Amino acid sequence: MTVETVVMAFVIGLMLGGLYSAISIGLSLIFGVIRVINFAQGGFLMLAAYSSFWLWKFFRIDPYLSLVIVGPLFFVFGYAVQHWLIRPIFIREKALVVEPLGALLLTVGLDLVMANLALFFFGSEYRAVVSPFAFTTISLGFLEINFTRFFVFLMAFIITGGLYLLLNNTEMGMAIRSVGQNREAAALCGINVYRTYDLSFGIGIVAVALAAASFIPFIPVSPAMGGHLGIKSFIVVVLGGLGSIPGALIGGIILGVVESVGSLFVPGTTAYILSFVLFIIILLFRPKGIMGVLGS
Amino acid sequence: MVNHRSDLTKKVGGFTKPRAPLGLWMVGAVFFLFLIIPFFVRSPYSLHIFIMVFYFAFLGTAWNLVSMAGQLSLGHAALLGIGGYTSTLLFMEWGLTPWLGMLVGACVGGIIGGIIAYPAFRLRGPYFALTSIAFAEILRLYVENTEIGPFGIPLKAAMGLLVPLRGHAPAVFQFENKEAYYYIALLMMFVAVTICYLICRSRMGFYLAAIRSDQDAGEALGINSTKYKLMAMVISSALTALGGSFYAQYFFIINPDRAMGLAMSIEIATVGVMGGWQTVLGPTIGSILLTPTSELMRAYLGGATAGLDLMIYGLLIIIVVLFLPNGINDPLMRLVRRLEAHVPKTKIRAEKDTE
Amino acid sequence: MAFLEVENVKKNFGGLVAVHDFDMTVEKGEIVGLIGPNGAGKTTLFNMIACFYPPDSGRVVFQGRDIVGMKPYQVCSLGIARTFQVTKPFLNSTVLENIMVGGFLRGSNAREARRIAMEILELLNFSDKKDAMGHEITTADQKRLELARSLATKPSLLLLDEVMAGLNPAEKVLLVDLLRRINSQGITLLTVEHDMRAVMSLCERIIVMNRGGKLVDGPPQRVANDQQAIAAYLGEEYVAT
Repeated sequence: MTVETVVMAFVIGLMLGGLYSAISIGLSLIFGVIRVINFAQGGFLMLAAYSSFWLWKFFRIDPYLSLVIVGPLFFVFGYAVQHWLIRPIFIREKALVVEPLGALLLTVGLDLVMANLALFFFGSEYRAVVSPFAFTTISLGFLEINFTRFFVFLMAFIITGGLYLLLNNTEMGMAIRSVGQNREAAALCGINVYRTYDLSFGIGIVAVALAAASFIPFIPVSPAMGGHLGIKSFIVVVLGGLGSIPGALIGGIILGVVESVGSLFVPGTTAYILSFVLFIIILLFRPKGIMGVLGS
Repeated sequence: MVNHRSDLTKKVGGFTKPRAPLGLWMVGAVFFLFLIIPFFVRSPYSLHIFIMVFYFAFLGTAWNLVSMAGQLSLGHAALLGIGGYTSTLLFMEWGLTPWLGMLVGACVGGIIGGIIAYPAFRLRGPYFALTSIAFAEILRLYVENTEIGPFGIPLKAAMGLLVPLRGHAPAVFQFENKEAYYYIALLMMFVAVTICYLICRSRMGFYLAAIRSDQDAGEALGINSTKYKLMAMVISSALTALGGSFYAQYFFIINPDRAMGLAMSIEIATVGVMGGWQTVLGPTIGSILLTPTSELMRAYLGGATAGLDLMIYGLLIIIVVLFLPNGINDPLMRLVRRLEAHVPKTKIRAEKDTE
Repeated sequence: MAFLEVENVKKNFGGLVAVHDFDMTVEKGEIVGLIGPNGAGKTTLFNMIACFYPPDSGRVVFQGRDIVGMKPYQVCSLGIARTFQVTKPFLNSTVLENIMVGGFLRGSNAREARRIAMEILELLNFSDKKDAMGHEITTADQKRLELARSLATKPSLLLLDEVMAGLNPAEKVLLVDLLRRINSQGITLLTVEHDMRAVMSLCERIIVMNRGGKLVDGPPQRVANDQQAIAAYLGEEYVAT
């Protein structure tokens, strides 16, 4: 075990963390605004990854370019799901905040549908994109960082930055922020809360879709990927604080680093189990997470 | 116009007190039907479907107790695993008959369920659900990756445990005919539903409904909410563990992936919710509707059309949540009420007087 | 030793002192009113007596027992019941079932709880509504339900939190009468109130709070004429009659 090994693990952890952050930011936003824990986030992720893959396979569009197509497409998709599937629950409850069971179960069912739709139509085999950047590396001293991984790391910051700009510099962003803080007050100010929900969900899904398109150069696509990565994003979001976007960024990076450096000392599955233990500990003792925006 | 029935009387299988006679008659009739079915139905596969219906009704009813406490658990499969592994290991290592082993498993399940849930109870809604998933996953991952556990217990990791075959050996809970399993499963379902019914009509039932509705108000009326939630959880866990032992003895194999996975937890929760969340007979109704559907779909649609059955399952969940917020209970109740309009008035009035 | 003794109780919220060095006693069988302008600390004090949260320091002694640190459900079995200012009926249960929840504290089974609940319904002239759902009844009835539920726990001390709020004058008169009847059955009442007329007519003794401390403590006449009490309310609509 040399210093170099540890530093290398740390850097790999950072890149991994960037991936975790990128896929989790959307989830945090959705919970922060709508207070719904979207169990289908993994499903959206997987479908976005497939979309990007098929765009590459049939139209030769580079995944990084497909961002432009996949992003808006999945905004519409997310918006539609919130509008047609989740909003009716709010309306039925005649409330601005929904009881946990309804929306939760719905998203569970939705995830089941998505995962098995993919299984049915695409089959269970892994599909990989061959990216021109697959072997490009960036050199920093003795470190060689794979470009595709670095891109995802960057993407996490781009998404965060983009959201920051959106939330702070636009009218829609302000509406989203107010609804997230106090929906009744926002409604009284004339903000259409339901429409804000629709928009927020759409944006949350775009975030995860962009992440997906960014990582398929090095992660193979399969129907089951949604489950595995989905669970990771829940851990990240709880770690960082449900509803906090900077929290998701930081939480993801911390998780990535801890996993990577941890795996030097402890076998992989134990590290995986430990991340769950961490998850529970945070839920029980500091549900607000690191950034402490929202608690239980 | 649907009459909003009280939460508490709704729990009595959705049949309110004055209407109890018709409700109980119907339930009794259905139960009698179940008793005599093996005399008419001989095909082992059909019997298997019935067994699965009773089995999931049992699990769903047990799970339901926790939702009566106002918490949504998506990790119950772990308890299933605990029960199944306990009774099977006791049989494999010490030859203890699973009849007793399952009782031990129930105790272990109840204790572990209580210990795990106790700190988690102060978490509301989705947080509790997430915690339950995490606990279940931790347990599953641990078993899946451990060949030899503490004290040298052979957990056999992902392969799971194979119940040693003894042929037809009723003393160790092994039968060569489906009929035996049929009646055992039916009995288990009956016991679970009865326990649930008795709880609902007792102090515990009222207190759980109060806690669900408004915990602060309940506490101001003398309810120790932690104690009652814990009781519900322990009973639920013990029963679920019992179900795990049945699983092991019926399938002769128990492994982490199938028995302890998130998919199983979701199946249990779905059965519990579909028939009418937090009602006594809801899970049973849910199982009657869902289990044959999913079994048959898996049989006919599995293989080449992999995933289609689960897709339809997921669609069903979405549809029920969107259109039947109280599960199948509402439309069913409407049907029952329409039938009741034809019952002679004297019967109903007589029951009313005995209240 | 008094029925209820509050000794030197303090409570801060962050930097805000809600209640400081507060003493008071309540004798068995009394009807005591707790009044004061908004922000005086009445609700805080009330919640501390009901053990909703504990004081930072001081003692609350009920029938010789220090109840500081106990949970609301423990205090309830000792005999302290409370109503909530914003009523909290169990919406998906009937009025009868709501009251039965209270009845289960002393009743050992469902039949007992039911019997207790029916008795209370009779006492409060509420029997006609027994099968109405919690979410269907009017505000005034919800207040009655709160009261009924608390009474079903057979308390010896009943804490009432702004129980007159939201009622019209006719309903208030009926409620005052009802409360007197309840008191005549041996239950001590401590009520936080804004409605002066109700307080003056109902309470034997009134404690006026202001800024977390006690201003006056005495019979209605004395309080009504007290300069400090009137001054505390100056600028508000309330005028002591």
